[in-house]
Amino acid sequence: MIEDEELEQRVHRQLDQAKHAYRGNLAASARLEEAAVRLAEPLRLAVAGPPRSGKSTLVNALIGDDVAPAAPTDGPVTFASYQDGPEPRAWWFADDQRPHQVSMVRTTPGLSLSTGAASSPPGPDQTRRAIVEWPSRALRRTRIVDTLGGLAEGDDQTGAQRVFHEADAVLYLTGHLDESDLNFLWAGRGLRGPSVFPVHVIVVLSRADATSGGRPDAMITARQVARRRRREPRVGALCQDVIAASPLIGHAARMLHEDEFRALAELARYQRTDLEPYLLSADRFTATDAIPGVPVENRDRLLRRLGLGGVRLAITLVRTGCTTRADLSERLQEYSGLKELQSAVAELFTARRATLKARSTLTVLDHLLRTEPPPGQGDHLAEIELLMAEVHPFRELRLLSALRSGRVDLPAESAAEARRLLGGAGTSVGERLNMPAEATADDIWSEAYAAADRWRHEPNRPGTTPAQRRAAEIVLRSCDMILTWLDETNL
Amino acid sequence: MGNWEAGPTAYAGPTSLIPLNRAMPDPLRAADAPLSWLDVMDATIRACSAHGRAEIANWLARRRTRMLEPQLRVLVAGAAKQGKSQLINALINATVCGVPDHGGTTVPAVIRHADSPVADLVRRDSPSAEWIGDVALRDRIPLALEQLDTAILQTAARLPAATPLHADIGVPRALLAGGLVLIDTPPLTGLPGRGADAVAQARDLTTGAGADLVLFTCEANRDLSDAEMVVLTDLARLFPTLMVVLTKADYAPDWRHHLTRNRERLSRAGVPASIAAVSASLRLHAVKAGDAGLNTESGFPDLIVRLQQLLAAKPDQLATATAAVLSRTVLERLAKPLRAQLTADQASEASEAVARLHATQRRLDDLRRCTGRWQNKLADEVGDLMSDIEHDLRERTRAVLSEVDEFFTTADPAKNWDEFEPWLRESIEDLTRTSLTWLVERAQWMARKVADEFPPDAGDVLPAEMFAVPDELVDGPGGLDAPAVATFSASQKLFIGLRGSYGGVIMFGLVTSLTGMSLINPISIGGGALFGGKSIRDESKALLKRRQVEARTAVQRHVDDIFVRLTKDARDTVRRIQRTLRDHFTAVTEDLQEAVMESLRSAKADADREVAARDQRARTVQHELAQLSALSQQSRALAAGPKRQAIPAQRSAS
Repeated sequence: MIEDEELEQRVHRQLDQAKHAYRGNLAASARLEEAAVRLAEPLRLAVAGPPRSGKSTLVNALIGDDVAPAAPTDGPVTFASYQDGPEPRAWWFADDQRPHQVSMVRTTPGLSLSTGAASSPPGPDQTRRAIVEWPSRALRRTRIVDTLGGLAEGDDQTGAQRVFHEADAVLYLTGHLDESDLNFLWAGRGLRGPSVFPVHVIVVLSRADATSGGRPDAMITARQVARRRRREPRVGALCQDVIAASPLIGHAARMLHEDEFRALAELARYQRTDLEPYLLSADRFTATDAIPGVPVENRDRLLRRLGLGGVRLAITLVRTGCTTRADLSERLQEYSGLKELQSAVAELFTARRATLKARSTLTVLDHLLRTEPPPGQGDHLAEIELLMAEVHPFRELRLLSALRSGRVDLPAESAAEARRLLGGAGTSVGERLNMPAEATADDIWSEAYAAADRWRHEPNRPGTTPAQRRAAEIVLRSCDMILTWLDETNL
Repeated sequence: MGNWEAGPTAYAGPTSLIPLNRAMPDPLRAADAPLSWLDVMDATIRACSAHGRAEIANWLARRRTRMLEPQLRVLVAGAAKQGKSQLINALINATVCGVPDHGGTTVPAVIRHADSPVADLVRRDSPSAEWIGDVALRDRIPLALEQLDTAILQTAARLPAATPLHADIGVPRALLAGGLVLIDTPPLTGLPGRGADAVAQARDLTTGAGADLVLFTCEANRDLSDAEMVVLTDLARLFPTLMVVLTKADYAPDWRHHLTRNRERLSRAGVPASIAAVSASLRLHAVKAGDAGLNTESGFPDLIVRLQQLLAAKPDQLATATAAVLSRTVLERLAKPLRAQLTADQASEASEAVARLHATQRRLDDLRRCTGRWQNKLADEVGDLMSDIEHDLRERTRAVLSEVDEFFTTADPAKNWDEFEPWLRESIEDLTRTSLTWLVERAQWMARKVADEFPPDAGDVLPAEMFAVPDELVDGPGGLDAPAVATFSASQKLFIGLRGSYGGVIMFGLVTSLTGMSLINPISIGGGALFGGKSIRDESKALLKRRQVEARTAVQRHVDDIFVRLTKDARDTVRRIQRTLRDHFTAVTEDLQEAVMESLRSAKADADREVAARDQRARTVQHELAQLSALSQQSRALAAGPKRQAIPAQRSAS
């Protein structure tokens, strides 16, 4: 059983050995140094996707503040990174320059960084970065990186590689997952080595609120679409999950103002049949003489914040019993898919920080050892491969994702147990075996043996499919590792 | 036409009897009668065939047939999820096209008027086969009318993958009764991000579906992307007017802003497109509620009016405009390779023949320059050689003479002459041979030096036989007789001895007479003998000296003679060599010049021929281009013709 700390230590050891092997090679040493620094950092979560797919809005929704997009006055940045800090501060740099602190002001969308006169206009291949320190609880364990939309476009794969190189995990936003999106995700998946497991990608269908013309049931339809898409083998092979969410509604819901709520409550007071005609189109909703009870500016503001679909949804929610701002905010966040997305990020990314960090580092190491092998270091490569084969967490994560999405179908009880044993409810041994903290060593041993035994016989049940047998093997491996760990720790 | 004017200047173009202005329309037409679009179309098709572009000609012929039909086939195209199917559903107020939530349209659907609802799936023979025309019964698969989109999907799934298919749907609608046909299409791949495939795909779709008009959809909450602009610009080459419809206007608060920006973008790009914003969901609501105001708000009435205007305009304005655009596009296509050929011909000024001519001229110049050079070189070298050989001879003879001098300081010519004379002869022979060998070597070296002055491509210009050292010397030095020096004979010795002894006898006799001895006594006789001996010795020494001097003088004279003769011989030889070399190299130069002149003449002839051929080709191409441009002018005249009014532009829905 490789625990998170142990995994981290082993990766550190590999890094140290690699540093030793590559001493004298400046470029390689620099990359290893960077990898070592990143290994110690919090998880980097990139939000990527084509232009206008709602990346910055989602960043704001996740942080719970209006910070994105953070851009210098002279053009957009390639990567804007948001991290926790005691007070709002910002740095800005391009390419290999040293970061220098800049002042920032809030603008209508996001933050504007004053770069000063020294900056040159952005070149096409220049990588411009902004780092924003912002006090936020959401950023404590994760850094969120907002990416330039142009990176997800174009025929070449360099954009995708830049994004995937930048982050440990990626939220890929797209309106409807089509060929070019899949191509982008393909570029982020390696052909071999540690990057083969796409355990670091969640796809977000970000135009969920506009599905079927933005009817109040749009989100439900969108969720169905997402469920269907995540079961597609082609999509499942490229990401951990597909989630339908509306960053627009989610963000507005998280930041819902009291007067916004009041305006919505006022609107909800109208008769359904009276209000219906005005909710047909954005034009009608913001017409000057439309709804006398709510001033046109308020209606306009609501429309911009929530979108027409969001307004319809919010009014329906108020009518069906959301009587306070907090209540409405909560329900809207739920309906917008933000909650689901947050829990998916927490479960698949934040809780698996060590695994994802190890993946990033080992990918760098693997690439380095392949492209410029150090003399006489064949055994080093073999060692990494051994480590990777042993890094069972990747397989666990993939099986968890397959169970979540229904790509692998197990009987309900078995599925729940498998999810638990694979670490879906927490990666410690106690959590995996569902043991209370005060359980005795004997209990734990017997439970572990029982679980291993059950999963050893699982493939022998009549009518199991090959996918189910493979899943059972992986769960059995997890059980074996629990037993090994128990043995090693002499419990 | 006979071939009597065949030759480089003869007209080598097509010798057809068709008049050159065959693109001109019917001569029976009144001169001021406006052109008909059919004339221009036919002329363009003929031009395509004449230029060997049968595929374009076929394609144009198909478009021509299409334009003569009363139907107006409207192809609805665009990126994925832009509301294409919904637009059609809303236009005809029936759910015939796919539900957008389920993966989008995969099978194109042709929606036309029918007295009672009917739907078939049509299997085409090949992807490029036309959609229009009679379909064999076995290729027509009837579809269930309920749940049409699922029926299409299920039926299509039963057929082998990649079968070219389209659905043929007939609905009883007044809107379609006039001949309007709507065609729903699968999304263009790559849009809105990338448009590389979409351009070709859009072309194939419009060609296959036989579209008369393209209606391009785009969501109202965004601007047209660059890739979409590329597709539209390309379509504008095939269609005189496009329609860009911004869909889902109800859901986009900023649709007016995007409408304005998109309109500006299209007009900046020179795409003749009318643009409007519509809302399918408002239209469906309006129809359901029977709300005329809402219907107007949806933008659809304006769209329908516009479509009906175009339908009415089809046989006349639309056809004319289409013919004008098509013929212009096609003619540009035809003219492009011709123009490229023309510029390429003009650019390749230094063709092979001309380059060869220039090279040959350069060679001739080189040769002329080298003539002067080698003559100078020869003269210089000969002068050097002369002075060198003279100096060399002098040095060598002086060496011989100094040896002779040394020899005769001790040796007695009278005694040693016999051994001296052969040595001298040998020395002189040696000298002569060495000198001559050296002379010949120098001459050979000189010949090579002169030959080096010739250009390297002249080949081996050295004389075939080089000068060899003559076996026999020109004239042997001959013997040298001993100088006639009188020898010291015995009587002379006696006389000299007596003359010397006389003084001694007297001297010693007088001295001894004082002692009383007679004058002749033994002592005086002894003294006389002493004196006589000395005289003889002195005399013989003086004689030896004289002999040596004489011998030296004789040898010197002899050697001088030989030197003079040798010098003369050497000079003669050098002159002879000079003359030989000069004659040889002059002959070589003349030969070379003759050869170069010959190749110059042929290169010149080649170059002339080539220039003539190129001019000829350029004339032909220009002629063809002129024809094309005349045709193109006609198409432009058609576009701006008096009969044509601009297809009424439509204001956007508000």
